[in-house]
Amino acid sequence: MAEALRELTVGTGAGIETEDMILNIGPQHPSTHGVLRLKLALDGERVVTAEPIIGYMHRGAEKLFEVRDYRQIIVLANRHDWLSAFANELGVALAVERMMGIEVPERAVWLRTALAELNRVLSHLMFLGSYPLELGAITPVFYAFREREALQAIMEEVSGGRMHYMFNRVGGVKEEVPAGWTRRAREVIGQVRGRLPDLDRIIRGNEIFLARTVGVGVLSAEQAAAFGASGPVARASGLDFDLRRDEPYLAYGQLDVPVVTRTAGDCHARFEVLLDQVHVSLDLAEQCLTRLDQIGGPVNVRLPKVVKAPEGHTYAWTENPLGVNGYYLVSRGEKTPWRMKLRTASYANVQALSTLLPGTLVPDLVAILGSMFFVVGDIDK
Amino acid sequence: MSAGGFPGSGLAKGLAVTLKTMTRRSTTQQYPDVAPELPPRSRGVIALLAENCTVCMLCSRECPDWCIYIDSHKEEVLVPGAARPRQRNVLDRFDIDFSLCMYCGICIEACPFDALYWSPEFEYAEYDIRDLVHDKDRLGEWVATVPPPPAHDPMGEPAKEEQNAAKKSAAA
Repeated sequence: MAEALRELTVGTGAGIETEDMILNIGPQHPSTHGVLRLKLALDGERVVTAEPIIGYMHRGAEKLFEVRDYRQIIVLANRHDWLSAFANELGVALAVERMMGIEVPERAVWLRTALAELNRVLSHLMFLGSYPLELGAITPVFYAFREREALQAIMEEVSGGRMHYMFNRVGGVKEEVPAGWTRRAREVIGQVRGRLPDLDRIIRGNEIFLARTVGVGVLSAEQAAAFGASGPVARASGLDFDLRRDEPYLAYGQLDVPVVTRTAGDCHARFEVLLDQVHVSLDLAEQCLTRLDQIGGPVNVRLPKVVKAPEGHTYAWTENPLGVNGYYLVSRGEKTPWRMKLRTASYANVQALSTLLPGTLVPDLVAILGSMFFVVGDIDK
Repeated sequence: MSAGGFPGSGLAKGLAVTLKTMTRRSTTQQYPDVAPELPPRSRGVIALLAENCTVCMLCSRECPDWCIYIDSHKEEVLVPGAARPRQRNVLDRFDIDFSLCMYCGICIEACPFDALYWSPEFEYAEYDIRDLVHDKDRLGEWVATVPPPPAHDPMGEPAKEEQNAAKKSAAA
């Protein structure tokens, strides 16, 4: 870092007071994964202030929740972060189940855990492919997408969807898995695990990749905590927090969840956390499938014709692929919630950019932005 | 700087992966020439079996974005031997606007008379957005492409249809 801050003034006219330039990155910029706008004040090549301006993709999801019943909410909820649809559905289902006092059958719990982990792998692989792409490494994305394709086929076989699964229901999941699915899923997990070292070898130690990411965009653990950052971004800064271990939901209490952390807090650390988490998630998913083969019984409960959450409020939070995702559900005993507040991981993680970016150089901007792993739909909701 | 070894070893390791992959068969799918194999649960298009529809309107009411349009009229049917003619709902119009549809499958789940089905067919893109409104006949054509549902995992519960059939045969 000390080296990066050394400045040299040469030439005539150097050292003259110049006005800061205002540069807008986005809302239409390929490295913002959607429509995030960054308002930067630049002093030459150096960022003085950075302000993430959000809201270009606001779809009013929270307001729409208020006029949708609990089955229809799942349709909307799985779309704010389109890379982790299963985990999003899960939060809604868990909140409503807790309010109604529904106990989910054991088989459904293990099935949900397995699918949530597979969904995590899918989301992580997307960023593992797209992040090097933003830095100019075109090849890794093909390796990432080859694995994604294999896993998506498994998800499609069970739920019918490749992105928006619509497989969670209040009280369990939609339907039983097809015969032989657990075996096929285990085969695919084995395949992906076997081919994952390719992705690791092709990019993790690449000199150009290291030069662009190591020591760039360092987020300290204090800063991460202050902004409420969570997930891989916070864990790369040494913030050892994972809801799967610290406040287990689903079947995570019965599983040993290794939490991947790094201390460097730079772009490379964030990338490494993601890469190592894929291995952890594949292991967890496999354990869940093994349990699934031992536990029989239903995968959902019979519900009344009109599902009504009793009056009251609850907060359910889950460890989504991108971080902590929370649903604050307030019900007045009707078939729609009175209010359903979303706490999304990307929203908090992106706020950290306003302290992370000042002092960095414009050429590093894309490297830092890409390493924050956000989905704009998840920010704007 | 590199992860260990001589300068440029990270790059060499990456190129070794490329070399290894080069010798493997490619995974490219020749899509328009070779149709993809889709699982039976795949949500491609909604098929309507109009004979089963009783115009109960549950699907259009449950649809999260109201993309199902139904019109009907009542008809009197004379049943021989009955004192009064019976009333029957006749389906005039059943349109699904696929430009609005979110492919959630709630209508199919809500249908109490098994008139709606998922089909994995997906090749119905149009040049004009208005052509994405599929009427009763178009939706009916999709019925032929509906695959049989997959068998359930033996560890789980059998499908509702199987349970009902077992109950019926036990009673008989």
